[in-house]
Amino acid sequence: MSSALRSALGGMNRGILHCASRLVPREQRADWLREWNAELWHMRRSCPPVDGFGWKSEGVAAAFCLGAFQDAFCVRHLCRQGSQAGSSQHGSARECLLCLGGLLAVSYILACVLPGVSMESHPSHYQLKPGLVLLQSELFTDSSAATIHGQQFLDLKASRQRGIDGLAFYRMAKETVSTGVDAKPKWRVAHASLSLFALLGAPATFSAVSNEPAGAVPTVVLSDELWRRQFGGNPKVIGSVVRVGRNAAKVLGVLPRGSWRLPGRADAWLLQPDSQIPRGAVGYVVAHLTRFGRSEIYDERVHINGFVPDDPDEDLWGVSFGERTRGPWTIFRFAIFLAFLALPAITSVSLGESCFSSHRPSLMKNLYRWIFLGTKIALLLSIAYFASLDLSYWNATGYSELSEYAQLASSFFICLFGMRWVLLDQRERCPVCLRRVTHPAQVGQASRTFLAWNGTELICTSGHTLLHVPGLPTSWFGTQRWMYLDTSWKFLFAGTGVG
Amino acid sequence: MVSEAKLSHTAAIILQAISSGCVYGFSIMEMTGLPSGTVYPAMRRLERDQLISSRWERQSIADAEQRPARKYYKLTSTGRTTLEASRKRYPLLERMIPSEEARSL
Repeated sequence: MSSALRSALGGMNRGILHCASRLVPREQRADWLREWNAELWHMRRSCPPVDGFGWKSEGVAAAFCLGAFQDAFCVRHLCRQGSQAGSSQHGSARECLLCLGGLLAVSYILACVLPGVSMESHPSHYQLKPGLVLLQSELFTDSSAATIHGQQFLDLKASRQRGIDGLAFYRMAKETVSTGVDAKPKWRVAHASLSLFALLGAPATFSAVSNEPAGAVPTVVLSDELWRRQFGGNPKVIGSVVRVGRNAAKVLGVLPRGSWRLPGRADAWLLQPDSQIPRGAVGYVVAHLTRFGRSEIYDERVHINGFVPDDPDEDLWGVSFGERTRGPWTIFRFAIFLAFLALPAITSVSLGESCFSSHRPSLMKNLYRWIFLGTKIALLLSIAYFASLDLSYWNATGYSELSEYAQLASSFFICLFGMRWVLLDQRERCPVCLRRVTHPAQVGQASRTFLAWNGTELICTSGHTLLHVPGLPTSWFGTQRWMYLDTSWKFLFAGTGVG
Repeated sequence: MVSEAKLSHTAAIILQAISSGCVYGFSIMEMTGLPSGTVYPAMRRLERDQLISSRWERQSIADAEQRPARKYYKLTSTGRTTLEASRKRYPLLERMIPSEEARSL
């Protein structure tokens, strides 16, 4: 009877220990259970029951087993404290990368949402046919000014230029438009040659186009912005007739947002035969160069004979549209180049690698450090790209040089000061654990700089390193230095202490 | 190198017990009168702070004696230095648990 009871109590004790072990973190569980079981066995041996069974010895064993729960709770508490101490340390590499990743996500989402950015970041929407140039009088330097008279265009067209196989003219004018409703708005209308969009390669990109064949009635192409503003994006307007100035014109289609990259901002393009071009009107001429013409291009320009009757010496320049269709990526690359050139002017590009002791972190730690730096730079550049687009095109409805300048300036400054922050941050990160060093302490006196060390001392909260930053760089202490702490410093970072 | 102020009385008693020859958990409990819920976690912390070290007995020895293997504890050199400092702070420590050398005299 007593042996059966003892066996049952033994099983119960083992069950209690097993239950207690479930409270211990998994990685320590087996070790604790093994030690408890061994101790229980030896305890029972050291307190043998009288006559095979004794309530006292069983009580001691039960107390030991119940104490295992206290052990387990204590171990859990210690483990939780340890993990909280680890996770609550600010300035860890993970925290830094998460912040940068968050910024990147926000700027990317904004870039996807803003219509101006999505228009600009898809160059296929506004790419023109290769070999197109804008003809301009060589007397003008402003590439967006209208410089060609109607007569000059007709003369050019009549002459057989070896380097040109296509010409189109357009001029800007404000016209009163009658759309059938009472109000008669004024549109910025580009009076253009019939071949303009065929020359540009744009008709294929019309977002909506009339199926009816073009007849004797002039046609008009609406801008996407006007179509949405004036007609509420109604597709039924395609094919209808509107009165533009004195001409009745059939709506041929809608040009997608951002497709128009040529000088002059138009709400609509009225396509007319060249015979209707006023001889004295000043406008723009778009030319398509032959292979021979393209071979003559130098520095984005090509010389064209002008055929100006009054001034035979006035010639023309054919200016490439490369600048207008280069897209944001080219501008961003240029901004990065400028930022990297300017970087040494605002901060030291050294990472402060020198150290007092011969001890150095392992090759793997060094590799992690460089990977971390590379990741930060990659994230920063991505943020700079999307954030500069967001800033420059948040309210843009079409191409503008101002937006391009804004993108160049914003990406330059984000890259420049971002890289400065990246380097400063990297210099203040412990080479071992990549956490930022903290607790700055002023050491020494500035008045004794040449007699003793004077500067700021920072410490890694994990106890790996001390960073010495000189207050006044001298020939013998010019840059910051790392001091790697050995195990004798460990007790300072023991957390809750012993016992 | 652990500062004296950081060593609690309980930890000092456990160090003294190990120093006096109690080299496993239950014997320390018996010697100090501390419950298991106090002794074992305290020993883990002392081990973490490198004041004591532990090792499992070889299984072959335990098998030969038909018993489970035990975990033995001993003081490290840091632990001995710390215990010396603690004895100055807690003068009754040695009187409560005489060390092996004192007992052999």
